[in-house]
Amino acid sequence: MDRYELRREDYSLSKDQADLQSSYAKFFKTHCSIDAVRAAEPAGFDKSLWERLCATGATTMALPESCGGDGASLVDLTLVAEEIGRSLAPVPWIDHVCAARLLARLAALASDADCTPGVVGGERLVGLDPHVASVTGTRLIPTGSIADDLILRDGAEVVRLTFASRPAKVDNIGRLPMAWVDPGADGSRTVLARGAAALADYQRALDEWRVLTAAALVGLVEETMMIAADFAKTRYTMGVPISTLQAISHPLANMAIVVQGGRNLARRAAWYLDNEPDERPELAASAFVFMAEEAARAATMAVHIQGGLGVSVEAAATAYLVRARGWPLAAGDPGASAQQIADIVASRQARGRE
Amino acid sequence: MDFSRVELSDEDRAFLDDARSFLRAHVTEDVRRRDRETGDNFDEGVHLAMGADGWLAAELKAESEGGLNRVRRRLWHLEKRRAHVPWVTWGTTMMVAHSVEKFGSPELREEVLPGVLTGHVRLCLGYTEPEGGSDVATCKTRAVRDGDGWVVNGSKMFTTGAHNCQYVFLITTTDAEAPKHKSLTMFLVPLDSPGIEIQGIRTVDGDRTNIVYYSDVRVDDKYRLGPVNAGWTVLREPLNVEHGAVDAHADGLQDVSIMAHQGGFMVDAVDTAAALVARENPDGRRALDDGSVAYRLGRSIARMEAALSTPQMYGRVAIAQTMRDIAPDLMDILGAASALPIEAPGAVDGGAAQYVFRFAPLVGIYGGTLEVFRNMIAQYALGLGRPDYSPPKKPS
Repeated sequence: MDRYELRREDYSLSKDQADLQSSYAKFFKTHCSIDAVRAAEPAGFDKSLWERLCATGATTMALPESCGGDGASLVDLTLVAEEIGRSLAPVPWIDHVCAARLLARLAALASDADCTPGVVGGERLVGLDPHVASVTGTRLIPTGSIADDLILRDGAEVVRLTFASRPAKVDNIGRLPMAWVDPGADGSRTVLARGAAALADYQRALDEWRVLTAAALVGLVEETMMIAADFAKTRYTMGVPISTLQAISHPLANMAIVVQGGRNLARRAAWYLDNEPDERPELAASAFVFMAEEAARAATMAVHIQGGLGVSVEAAATAYLVRARGWPLAAGDPGASAQQIADIVASRQARGRE
Repeated sequence: MDFSRVELSDEDRAFLDDARSFLRAHVTEDVRRRDRETGDNFDEGVHLAMGADGWLAAELKAESEGGLNRVRRRLWHLEKRRAHVPWVTWGTTMMVAHSVEKFGSPELREEVLPGVLTGHVRLCLGYTEPEGGSDVATCKTRAVRDGDGWVVNGSKMFTTGAHNCQYVFLITTTDAEAPKHKSLTMFLVPLDSPGIEIQGIRTVDGDRTNIVYYSDVRVDDKYRLGPVNAGWTVLREPLNVEHGAVDAHADGLQDVSIMAHQGGFMVDAVDTAAALVARENPDGRRALDDGSVAYRLGRSIARMEAALSTPQMYGRVAIAQTMRDIAPDLMDILGAASALPIEAPGAVDGGAAQYVFRFAPLVGIYGGTLEVFRNMIAQYALGLGRPDYSPPKKPS
């Protein structure tokens, strides 16, 4: 890669993309209040919100036209993901679209297959194992308690699991519909593909999951930052709003910087996956590693700024806090992604110097 | 959104070839070594050659006046960075030349601008004062009317390049009673005027800057830029550019934020470290096989890519802060030999990572400190209000 070659660095959104973004911002503002988020915590899933969301075409857009979808770009999908993070929407949209797009790549979503319309339209929920490091045996899967189908790696195979009775949800800090899943347990296990190409397809799904999760964390950080900023403007100490004290305003400015940088990096990573997937394969993981670390830091500071009110379980700030940690952690240690970045860039640089 | 390679026309391709062969011929290893030794960040031979071959004029002039179009301008900037062309003095010269063009009298423009295009006239910034810090409006250097001219007294810090320049773009105070933004007057002061003393200061990154003393310096009124006490307006324009407050074009043919150029030194260090940890040691192992090395390198890359993506004033903070944050890790994973400077035998990465470590403090200070920019983000982007600057307590 030539760092000095002439490429455009244009992060602007098209008119259509700006419209898409504002229509989903409006959708979640209308249908996903913080009370609705709280109410869905026991299940980790708001089924009626999911149905409403699917009715807008949010799952259909993500799939290729060959299986009945609308063929949106991954950049488009980051715009939706950011709104999901902003509203903490308890819907498995990221997992579903990444799994469904994987099925399409594995040619397991033929337009004439019985299950295809359900997957495309979101009535049949698909999840995946987002662990970056290869996992064997029983594992925690973020959509494990609600998915109709789970796609995961098992050794060199990519398999689809369908359970007669779904695994039980376990409580978790991300308030996800998470469950322990044993690929060897009763249920139907179908091998979708095996070998290097299949694993590369799976890797692509992990890249998409990480880009979209990074985008969701951007929205999450921005919203908890805005709530904390509004609080700081109206909370006084020694006669001045605490927002005018640099010990408060500079950490908030740092959050704004994280939002701007994380957002653009997620979009750039998505653009490369859409257009030149072999050119910058480290960017998806980079967006994820950056936002996984910064989201926890920012969400903690947002709680801190609101002091004794911020730590209450009823405060919005704590709802953001736990998800800032729990959402990225569903992929396992983000350090595995960092090591993957190093491998990609080091081999590229070593090749470049031979 | 678009990150694609720009398709070059045959003419643009020929332009690129010209640029590369010019830079290859003039920016030699000797030039770069001399630059490291002097810390000048300026090379007169290269600069005059650029003037003679029309590169300075092409870059300085707007496209409508015969300057480079946006594609070629971007190509030229990228190729200069690739070749490690000394850059600071030309940067200040261009900023000030635009102000001279806009605010200078016809006589002054005629005196200064032709030499800027040939390279014989260079211009530097006289903003910061020893007691002033980042607030350019806290100016103690005074200009007092004396017949048809002025007498200037005071001192300025960080007048980088002054010893290679012919004029300094000087902020003075001309009305001690007025509020600070209505008390400033700008001058373009000839640096060979009697009463000016330039003292070199080396900075920890290896560069040289200057403190400049002005003692009863007589300045003709023709060197005034803009009206008396309207210096703030004259000053604002280059500051807006420097602070990234000027709107970006939507064609993606410019830096995402200011200080992207400085960020390039971090990119070089990271890419070099990545290549080095992938090398096999004599025992057949690679540093990269150590998970802690891979983790630290990967995290550094992730943070760097985020900083490089961060736009406008946000990116100004992100780049400097990330340089500071990741340089220690880059040095650690390269081991003890990363302590050695460039050209020392065994300097593992040519001193690249330790250079970023030494350079990062400067990048977060000059051009407006990180605090100035965090204040701007807090006040203008987040609406948090002006920072509380409580007056000092009165002694009881």
